[in-house]
Amino acid sequence: MTVPAAGGPAVTVPAAEPCPVNPFVATDLPPVTLDVDVLVGRYADRPGPSGDPDAVVALLAGNGITGAAVASLRAALFDVTSGNDEVAALGGPVLPVGALDLRDPLGAEREIVRLAARGFRAVRLFPDEQGVQPDFPSVRHVARRATEAGLVILTGGDVRRYWRPLRGATVVFLDTHFYHLGDFVVVARDEPGFHTSTRLLNSPDALETVAAQLGVGRLLYGSRTPWQEPVVPRLRLARSGLDAAGVAAVAGGNARRLLGVAA
Amino acid sequence: MIVDVHAHWGPWFFSMEVGAVAVNLAVMDRYGIDLAVVSATEAVVYDVRSGNRAMARVLETTDRFLGYLTVNPRRLADAERDLAELLPSGRFVGVKIHTDYSGSPVASARTRDALALVAAYDLPALVHTWDTTPLDLAQACADIPGLRVIAGHMGANGWRYAVEAANSVDRLWLEPCFSHTEAGRFAAVAAAVDPRRLLFGTDATLIDPAAAYGAVLAADLDPVTAERVAWRNAAELFRLDI
Repeated sequence: MTVPAAGGPAVTVPAAEPCPVNPFVATDLPPVTLDVDVLVGRYADRPGPSGDPDAVVALLAGNGITGAAVASLRAALFDVTSGNDEVAALGGPVLPVGALDLRDPLGAEREIVRLAARGFRAVRLFPDEQGVQPDFPSVRHVARRATEAGLVILTGGDVRRYWRPLRGATVVFLDTHFYHLGDFVVVARDEPGFHTSTRLLNSPDALETVAAQLGVGRLLYGSRTPWQEPVVPRLRLARSGLDAAGVAAVAGGNARRLLGVAA
Repeated sequence: MIVDVHAHWGPWFFSMEVGAVAVNLAVMDRYGIDLAVVSATEAVVYDVRSGNRAMARVLETTDRFLGYLTVNPRRLADAERDLAELLPSGRFVGVKIHTDYSGSPVASARTRDALALVAAYDLPALVHTWDTTPLDLAQACADIPGLRVIAGHMGANGWRYAVEAANSVDRLWLEPCFSHTEAGRFAAVAAAVDPRRLLFGTDATLIDPAAAYGAVLAADLDPVTAERVAWRNAAELFRLDI
C-alpha cells in the first residue's frame, strides 16, 4: 500500500500480515449424557495417565460428558473386590461398572452375585489385559452367569472372536474397529443383544452403516477416557449423517435405556 | 485453510463405500479441508502402473486434489517410467511409498533405492511408518542427500520414535493420522519437535478426518502453530502457491 506522507514523498507501507487463525475448531460437539467406556486406575505396563478418579471426572466435565459407566483397572488387573468397591464409592457422573477377572472364573461367579446384590447394572470384561482367549471356558461361563444375574456385559476384545462365547447376552463391544465392522453387522443381525461402542468406528461411513443395517439403537458413544481422546468419537458423531434424535441416542440415550438409567 | 497431506482416492476392501471422488469431497467438506494430497488405493494395495494412471485421470477432474505418485519399491522400473510420463502434468507433487502393502521395509535395500530415486526428482515422499520405523526413515534421510520425507502416521503407536526421528534430521516431517487415538499423542509430539515439521494428514477416505482433526483439536495449539500444521508447512514442503 502506498500512502502520501505529509510534506514529503509517498512511502510504501508493507501490508499487515494477517493474524494467524487456528482453523481447528468444533463448536458443534454434542453433549454426551452417558459414556459407556471410562476407566479409573493405571496400567503397570505402559506410560499414560494415573487414572486418578478426580482427574478423570474433571476430564469428563471438560469434554461435555455428564454421565459415565466407569470401571476400575485396580479391579481388572489386581484385586476385583477392592477395585469395584472403589468405583462404587465414586459419585457425581459415575455409574459404577464391575470389573471381572476372567483368569479366576470361580471368583468371578462370587463377584457377579455380590455386584448384582449391590445394584450394579453392568460388568466389564478385560480379556486382552488379562491374557484370556475367547475359547477359554471362563469367558462363556462368566458371560452366562452375568446374563442370568441381569447384568449387561461391556467387553474389550476382537469382536470377530468374542462374539461366539457372548451369544445370547446383552453386550456392548468396546473395541469394534471399523476394519471389522462387516463381521459385527452380520453377527449382530442374529444377536439382538449385541451393541457396539463408537470409539473405533471412525471411518467415513461406519456409524451410518450400523444405523442403516441394524438401527441406531445399537450404537453407544464410548471414549475410553482418560486413555483415548474423547473428542474424536464426539466429533465423528457431530459430523455424522445421523439426525438429531439419532445423535442424542448414541450420545447417551441408548446407554441409559440399556443400563436402566433414568434420563 | 487446511491441507490434508495424507489422503487416498479409491475403494477399500473393508465393509465401506468410500471409493467415489464425491465421497472424498464430502468428507473434506465435513471438516473444512480445502485441499488433499491423494494417492490411488489401487496403486497402493495392488498395481502401481494402472493405479497411478487412474489417479492421473481423477486429478484432471478436481482442483481440490493434488497427487502422490505411488512407488512400489519392488517395481522401480515402473516407478521411473511413471515419473517420466506422469510428472509433466504438474498435478503430482509427491511420492507415496507404503512399506507394508509392498512388503518393503523402510530399511530394506529396495526401499532405500526407491527413496534415492525420489530424492533425485526432488519430490517429498510420504512413507508409511509404524512402531520404530520412523528411526529407519530418519537414517535414510541422513544417508540420502536432499531426501525430504513425511513419516506417515508419525509412527502410529511408535510416536515417541517419530519425535526422535524428527529431531535427528532436518528433512523429516510428521503427520498424525491413526485410527487409534491415544490421549495427548499429538500434543506431546507438537511440544517436542520443531513446529515447522508438523503437518496435517487424515488417511481419508480410509479413516474419517475426525481422528486426526480431533487429535489436533485436543492439542489446543497456539494459532501460529495451528496454522503451520493446517497448511503453512505443507505449502512450503510441496512448494504450493497458496
